[in-house]
Amino acid sequence: MRGVLTWLRGLWHRGSTDSDLDREISLHIDLETEANVRAGMTPDAARRTALVAFGGVHVAKDAVRDERSWGSVVHLQQDLRYGVRALRKNPLFFVVAVLTLALGIGANTAMFSLLDPIVLRLLPVRHPEQLVIVRETGNHFANTYGANTISWPMFEDLRDNNQVFSGMFCRFPTTVTIGYRDRPAQIPAELVSASYFPTLGVRAALGRTIAPDEDAIPDSKPVVVLSYTFWRTYFDGDRTIVGRAIDLNSQAMTVVGVAQPGFDGVDLGVPAKVFVPIMMKTQMTPHSDGLKDRRRRLDWVTAYGRLKPGMSPEQAQLALQPLMHRILEMEAQQPEFTRNATAEDRQVFLRNRAELLPGSENGLREYMRKPLWLLVALTGAVLLLACANLANLLLARAIAREREFALRLAIGAGRARLVSQLLVESLLLAGVGAILGLALALLADRFLLRMYLPADTAAEFVIAPIPDGRVLAFVMGVMVLTSVVFGLLPALRGARSELTLPLRDRSSTVSAGGISLRRMLVGIQLALSLLLLFGAGLFVRTLRNLENQGPGFPTDHVLTFRIDPSLNGYSDDETKSFYERLNVNLQTMPGVTSVGFSALPLLKGYAWQNPVLGKDFEGAPIEAQPVLNAVSPDFFATLGIPIVAGRDFTPHDDVPRSWSNEFGYAVVNETFAKQYFHGQSPIGQHFGLVSDVNTVRPDIEVIGVIPDRKNRDLRETPPAQAYFPYFQGFHFRFMNIYLRTQGDPRQIEDALRERLREFDPNVPIVGLQTLNEQIGVSLRTERLVASLSAIFGGLAMLLAAIGLYGVVAYTVTSRTHEFGVRVALGAVHQDVVWLVMRDVLLLIASGLAVGVPLAFALSTLVRSQIFGLDPHDPVTLVSSALALAIVACVAGLIPALRASRVDPLRSLRSE
Amino acid sequence: MADSSSDVLQGTLDLLVLKALSLAPLHGWGISQRIQQLSRDALRIGQGSLYPALYRLEKKGMVKGEWGTTENNREAKYYALTAAGRRALTTEANEWEHYAAAVRLVLAAKG
Repeated sequence: MRGVLTWLRGLWHRGSTDSDLDREISLHIDLETEANVRAGMTPDAARRTALVAFGGVHVAKDAVRDERSWGSVVHLQQDLRYGVRALRKNPLFFVVAVLTLALGIGANTAMFSLLDPIVLRLLPVRHPEQLVIVRETGNHFANTYGANTISWPMFEDLRDNNQVFSGMFCRFPTTVTIGYRDRPAQIPAELVSASYFPTLGVRAALGRTIAPDEDAIPDSKPVVVLSYTFWRTYFDGDRTIVGRAIDLNSQAMTVVGVAQPGFDGVDLGVPAKVFVPIMMKTQMTPHSDGLKDRRRRLDWVTAYGRLKPGMSPEQAQLALQPLMHRILEMEAQQPEFTRNATAEDRQVFLRNRAELLPGSENGLREYMRKPLWLLVALTGAVLLLACANLANLLLARAIAREREFALRLAIGAGRARLVSQLLVESLLLAGVGAILGLALALLADRFLLRMYLPADTAAEFVIAPIPDGRVLAFVMGVMVLTSVVFGLLPALRGARSELTLPLRDRSSTVSAGGISLRRMLVGIQLALSLLLLFGAGLFVRTLRNLENQGPGFPTDHVLTFRIDPSLNGYSDDETKSFYERLNVNLQTMPGVTSVGFSALPLLKGYAWQNPVLGKDFEGAPIEAQPVLNAVSPDFFATLGIPIVAGRDFTPHDDVPRSWSNEFGYAVVNETFAKQYFHGQSPIGQHFGLVSDVNTVRPDIEVIGVIPDRKNRDLRETPPAQAYFPYFQGFHFRFMNIYLRTQGDPRQIEDALRERLREFDPNVPIVGLQTLNEQIGVSLRTERLVASLSAIFGGLAMLLAAIGLYGVVAYTVTSRTHEFGVRVALGAVHQDVVWLVMRDVLLLIASGLAVGVPLAFALSTLVRSQIFGLDPHDPVTLVSSALALAIVACVAGLIPALRASRVDPLRSLRSE
Repeated sequence: MADSSSDVLQGTLDLLVLKALSLAPLHGWGISQRIQQLSRDALRIGQGSLYPALYRLEKKGMVKGEWGTTENNREAKYYALTAAGRRALTTEANEWEHYAAAVRLVLAAKG
């Protein structure tokens, strides 16, 4: 702004001073003319002579302007014009430099803009840094629903007895079915304590939030607060909705208010649409009434606290330990605990501690933190590489222009003038690069978000429309600094060296310093390229391994969706009947060959785990517990999993209800058989699941064995698995349904939707897609890492090749004379090529010498991101090194061949 | 451009202008006339370098320009030496003497 003012003032003053100057000059010429007349000339001749003697009015004016302070403005215009001309004269340099800049700026800004909302951003509430999650470390010896959960009574104890929080609240995320205007849908909901809104400092945009008395007695107050986004989209921003009732899980709930805009619950990964008092849990989560259950072996709420002002999380965590220990001591006395626990278990349990996590922590964050930081690290390497390439390009240009600048200095150009002109050129370059980079970042962000997040989350994910300012500033700063420092080099070098030297001598002596720096930069570029190529190789092969290995059963021609009639208020019997009728209905659908039901979805990261009686309760970590599922009779057949021993479930497997376990029969996998039956034939063996409710006997009979197949995700080594017959159970909730189809499963999607709407218009179906599509979504992180690292690796190699080419081409040009002499003395073409290539190979070798150990050291850091190969995989390392070496050799060979075609006569004459 | 033999080396011009002004304030043309006279027509200032020099010196605070009238009642900008200009004249004149003496010695050397 001030610059503009100065410029305007300059223009103003320029006017008045110019007229002063005009007056001075015209007086000068008048006086000169008069003197000439006095000397005897005719008036005309006298004036002409005077003008000639003065030497050009305009030249004088320009020269005077140069001496003026505002001359810099005029210079800037000239420099800009000259800069544009200079850059246009060498379009290849301009394009490569600008693209390098754009790549560095764009990639880093885009990646950080993705990292920020997903991994770094705090909640949009009052003083979010004071907000913490209170979790219990270690083995809870309890059933847990979700990460970082504790029991409802423990939350109450912590809330009522702590000295460190100004307020505490708890929440439980769930899915509810909303019925409104014939648009049934399943939506994410948060069940929250009444202290939720006041503790967060979130107000109501309309109506009010949940009142304290609405969170006092279970099942008493059917009220709901809507999220602002949901109110705008689903209810079209209807203000009269407040006070009216809507159906959640077929329970009439009164809308009391709409939360403030921008607030979508405390889990940024799963934006909540509605907020319901946690006292309504029974209605919102049928069959699970953890609230009224005073047992402490059921962990399901996430507890949040707001630190008192001035209290650090570390202090608070320390201060909470005595309270936590008292609670654990008390719990360890209770029958629910003592029934199954040994003295050792008790010792383990009492070592648990309270731990505070940042309040913005969530599942998405935990899951995406590593891959996103990995990608940020990769783009960091790209930035480094881009800087090296830019420096190299500018140095090359500087060396090429050394003569030009020496010449300009010699004919009287001011050094300041040269510096300012180079500065303008560099900034021009950086400016165009920055604008392009910013556009690239915006474009990339939109693309990455769509690719990276689940479709339903991406649509709502709150991401800044403008890339993060701090990062943009940092990245641009680095790149602009690089372009300015290296762009100014010719002027700085000119200041050092003798003016006339570059004019006289055009060979290597002057530029020796420049070329060694450039060689070093090329070495760095090659090393970084190897790093990125090696990483790309590892991640691409990881993705390929995951895709090729698959889950171990055929995934083509399978359609899947999720459904939960219990959220429509259907009783257990009604739900069971619903599923049985649906099973028959779908089996008769044209194009469907087989139908399987599964309580838990396959390959979506979910698991139902429970300790097995007599073995696992001794402090077994959750990883060691078998993975369980409840399925329908045709489930294995539908997924193409063979029964290797015994038999499949049938619709007629009646379970004596007197048995202690809900399910009387099980099909287990081979690993389960090995682990629990020690080599004996598993068929006819019995086992039992640990329960804290009642004493159980090992009376589940194994009737069949399936081979080991992946269940939770594609990366897992199949753990011990046991499957139970779903229809023999007591409780019926959500179900994942798998249909094997004759042809392309997508062909029958619409027909299926229509059929289900006819079957029951009130029960929404969720996530209808092919199994391959679902697997594709589950591999999105791997695909993102693989594709981006491959792109970065390819670009890195290209940039390194350009850098190498530039250096070698320069060396060849400066040694033309030498080559000429050599050829004249009888050297053949191969000799000259070898002379150049020896140098090229040396460069490549030095780049690899730095890059290989670096790649080895760094790849161990990404071990967890790699699947099916060693982080030091020699094949990947050798092939990426080989690819880089070949490309670099080709880049070097071009100037080498040119050198070999040197005409000795011409090269000698040109000196 | 005019005859280069009468051109004045840059740097030297400033010294000549300062010297010309050391006797009395002058306007631009007057300065060029004075230098021509003093050098017995050997040095001719014109060629568009006088006014830049004047502005340069003015910016450096060595001369100060003021509008006045000539004997023929014409408006002209008169330049006068400032104290700084006087000091600069002394030092630069000394430096020039040294330089010229050195060049003379070199040229006078026999052999």
